Amino acid sequence: MVSLDGLTAGGAALLLFVSEECPTSAMALRNLGPLCRTWDQAGLTATAIFEDPLDVAIRVARRTGWTGRVVSQDPPYETSRAYRLLSVPTSVLVSRNGDVSGTVVGWDHGALSALIDQAGALTAGAALTLPPPVEPFWKPGCSSKAALDPDVAAAISRSDAADEMEEMFERGWTDGLPVVPPTRQRVEAMLAGADGSASLGLVPPSMGEATLERLASCAVLAGCRPAYFPVVVAAARAMLDPAFNLHGQAVTTQPAGQLIVVNGPVRRAIGLNCGMGALGPGSRANLTIGRAARLLVTLLGGAMPGMLDRATLGHMGKVGFCIAEDEEASPWPPLHVERGFEPEQSVVTLIGSDAPQSISDHRSRTPEDLAYILAWAAASTWSTNWWPLVEPSVFVICPEHAEMFRAAGWTKQQLREFMYDAVRKPAGRLRRGETTPIVSAADPAADISKWASPDSIVLLVTGGEAGRYSAVLGPCTGMGAHIVSREVESG
Amino acid sequence: MSSDYPGRDYVSPFDERVRLAEPLARRPATVSGRSVALIDISKNRGAEFLDRIESQLTQAGAVTSRWAKEIFSKPAAPALIDDVAAGSDLVVEALAD
Repeated sequence: MVSLDGLTAGGAALLLFVSEECPTSAMALRNLGPLCRTWDQAGLTATAIFEDPLDVAIRVARRTGWTGRVVSQDPPYETSRAYRLLSVPTSVLVSRNGDVSGTVVGWDHGALSALIDQAGALTAGAALTLPPPVEPFWKPGCSSKAALDPDVAAAISRSDAADEMEEMFERGWTDGLPVVPPTRQRVEAMLAGADGSASLGLVPPSMGEATLERLASCAVLAGCRPAYFPVVVAAARAMLDPAFNLHGQAVTTQPAGQLIVVNGPVRRAIGLNCGMGALGPGSRANLTIGRAARLLVTLLGGAMPGMLDRATLGHMGKVGFCIAEDEEASPWPPLHVERGFEPEQSVVTLIGSDAPQSISDHRSRTPEDLAYILAWAAASTWSTNWWPLVEPSVFVICPEHAEMFRAAGWTKQQLREFMYDAVRKPAGRLRRGETTPIVSAADPAADISKWASPDSIVLLVTGGEAGRYSAVLGPCTGMGAHIVSREVESG
Repeated sequence: MSSDYPGRDYVSPFDERVRLAEPLARRPATVSGRSVALIDISKNRGAEFLDRIESQLTQAGAVTSRWAKEIFSKPAAPALIDDVAAGSDLVVEALAD
């Protein structure tokens, strides 16, 4: 039984009986919710009394913008029964001595306005703000659970009667796909004894604080195994480095996502796929690590498409994009070693990146021909006449293509420089539609490369051993977003 | 008042602290005699847009000043925000492409 003690101290109390499943209840909470604070100052205490569990009540109150008090009733809903409720919402005005001064059933704008005027008379004559006159002015409610047989009411309130997966969607704890509910037990398993209150920093654009516990919750939601969590943590640390400019990447109208590249022993230890279908589906580790990192941006950063994520199109890599380099199949030093780490270190590298574009080449017989084909595939990335690109283009070289360069003894730097030199056009042929200030200012005969320098080209090796399909991922452009690497800390 | 979901102690991925929306500043009845900061966020053609706005504001009697962010894709530097806030009554920020 809900106690009225203290609620009528200012002169009167408004009890709004509601239930989560009832759309009219939600409407009443939305329409009256913002007014509660001003009523409270004038002496009228507004309380939403839910016929739902407390966690559900709090969630609905938050979602609907209810600023009054919130209480919850267990079956058999004694408070609702005491007020002889038949339906929700029902608004009950209670005077200082506990008497019922008026009742409005359902949503009835006129009757509720009169009830609130009446409340004003009970609270020292203060003029209380009335709900805005927006349609519908009248809407019937739903049956009160107190009107049901108590056994039936208890049965439909049991936890196993609810759909946990659907509840995750209702809470907004999703990127659009079903998630694994982050129970405390699962989150603690993910944390593996680490201090969940430790902060990794603020996640732009909405600057929610990324505690380790919240990141673990994202990892559970994404479907990660606890063994993946150190990689997720390293990815989060890299993303939150200001040099990565997650803020710009998260809100841009560009399609760019955050590519995670994993190097070192952790790839094999946790089963990251760097073989067949390395950029595609099939591997839990790749898919869920990438998804966990994106959930951090989406949930803690508020970058949900249509909200703070303003991408015109986006791309599927924004659900999550984690790949691992096949260091054993590569003729070259792996990415993390190029970036100054030791081969035996496990490292995560973040790159702002567009969707992959496949490059088929089964016919080249010299490394020069193959390098030319790979490089020119990038000519129209970002935009056809936007030359040169400053931010990194990522070339994912398949093992068969890599083998041709190995056989010819080409180094990574040699390939980069060949590509940089190969893709050139006179400025005069690039002056159509969107182009760069460099092209506009250049002599029409001046050669412009697709890249500002060979260093704008990132080369990785991964993929199935058969098939000559490499890929190029265009850059996230104009953001001042740099590549950032972080070591994966074990334990 | 207890939950009917005893087995469901979920850990929220959200930062649950409530952020209150900042109310919009009062709009002036006139710009005449006011100092107006024109901030170019450094996006393509933003300056062009501000040139036209500046011309109209000057005709209306406003005193303008020009500012620019380092790059459009990052939040403005705190020093820039402080300087603009200290020296201006009104602000116009240009987003263009």
